[in-house]
Amino acid sequence: MTEAIRFDKVSLWRRTQEEFSYDLKKTVLAFFEGKYREPAKKLVLDSLDLTINQGEKVGIIGSNGAGKSTLLKVICGILQPTTGTVRVRGKIAPLIELGAGFDDELSVLDNIVMYGVMLGFSRREMISRAKLILEFAELEEYGLIPVKGLSSGMKSRLGFAIATDVEPDILILDEVLSVGDERFKKKCEAKMDQFWQAGTTILLVSHTMELIAESCDKAIWLDQGTVKFVGAAKDCIDIYLQHI
Amino acid sequence: MNFSLPSNSEKARMWWIWELFSVLVRRNLKRRYRGSFLGIYWSLLSPVIMTGLYAAIFGTAFSSYYNNSTLNYILAAFTGLVVINFFSSATSQALVSVVTSGSIVNKIKLPLFVFPLSFIGANVFQLLLGVFPLLLVITLLISHNLINVIALIVPLLSLVLVCAGVALLTSALFVFFRDLPYFYELITFLLWISSPIFYPAEIVPEEVKKILILNPLLPIINSIRQICLSGNLPDVMLMLASVLSGVIVLTIGAIAFALWQDKFMDLL
Repeated sequence: MTEAIRFDKVSLWRRTQEEFSYDLKKTVLAFFEGKYREPAKKLVLDSLDLTINQGEKVGIIGSNGAGKSTLLKVICGILQPTTGTVRVRGKIAPLIELGAGFDDELSVLDNIVMYGVMLGFSRREMISRAKLILEFAELEEYGLIPVKGLSSGMKSRLGFAIATDVEPDILILDEVLSVGDERFKKKCEAKMDQFWQAGTTILLVSHTMELIAESCDKAIWLDQGTVKFVGAAKDCIDIYLQHI
Repeated sequence: MNFSLPSNSEKARMWWIWELFSVLVRRNLKRRYRGSFLGIYWSLLSPVIMTGLYAAIFGTAFSSYYNNSTLNYILAAFTGLVVINFFSSATSQALVSVVTSGSIVNKIKLPLFVFPLSFIGANVFQLLLGVFPLLLVITLLISHNLINVIALIVPLLSLVLVCAGVALLTSALFVFFRDLPYFYELITFLLWISSPIFYPAEIVPEEVKKILILNPLLPIINSIRQICLSGNLPDVMLMLASVLSGVIVLTIGAIAFALWQDKFMDLL
């Protein structure tokens, strides 16, 4: 089997939120008063070793702050590990907090093109794909309306439609599998099934254990930046639930 | 270290960055003008009104420095204003660009430098449709020479380089210091006053002039005025000085951005 993702002793230090000073005036004054100190850092991922093969459906579980989202960001290449190496093979599509990147002032069509280019498509390609995306999101009449005119449900539908149109090798899901009303949820599930059948590598972060047990064959339990357990999804969930 | 093994080559990546840049430039322009592209001509209004104001107030007092011609004063003030207006509008928009793109760059891996540069791009587009043709006409009328018209591109390009450098530097600093706009306003005001826009450079005392050389916009304004207004052939030394100024500022900005960008993601 070919490896899709491989982590070798990956550690990541990040600045902690509370330490943000964000203020030039304060920093300069602190410097002159001799009170300036290097911002504190926290170890978020602690020498992680991890291998995920192509086509595997992997659930990631763990309490809040265990490093799940950070792990996903490292896989996407958004964060660089402080030490260790990360290898990722294939095109990644993130499906995290749908619609986060939309520009409220721009029309739905412009947003589709912009989002698509950000995900790695060319402008031309996106313009020709836009119609199908609008169709899937059931927003055909809204193409020229600014995104701020859409309801939040419509926005998530649009986000889902664009992100799943990418046909990625690795799909990253953070808590979102189905959005919108019951009818649209069915459509989402059908689309997700396609990915499941097509041999796409899928990483799913969720606090819903039934979902992980149902849809993943493997699961990883993260705790305080380290892997506590890797194995069959059912075993992993059992051990995790016993622990807490 | 992060190794990705994408199927597409480096060339495809360059092309994608260009696509991303142009999509963001379009977004910036659309957000600004909301479909009415006549709006671009509003950008002409500000330098024209200010030129009129300067001419009314200082025109008579300073005309002796401009061959006793108020028209020459007006043209000098206008060319100076074009430069400083472009600079302050492009860089102040770019300043917040990395921070405001925070939510999207936390979801998708994107080259961060594209965001500040896209605002420079949008302002260049606006310049090309608005003030640039006007400058060309002025140059052609005064110099009667196509060489001057072509040479005009050099200091304008240098202006774009200076703005790109400042945009990279300030947008990076803004990630760390969110009160930067307050100080940046002061700095643009200093640049504004230290550039001989509405006053003749001759009235500045020698000692002060030595400090004013640090103003990166000065060689650009000088070169544009020489090419547009002197009626002589373009002065190559002035053009080179403006290019040098652009290259230096861009290098500083690019290095600062490259050194700091690894730290951005913890703060966005």
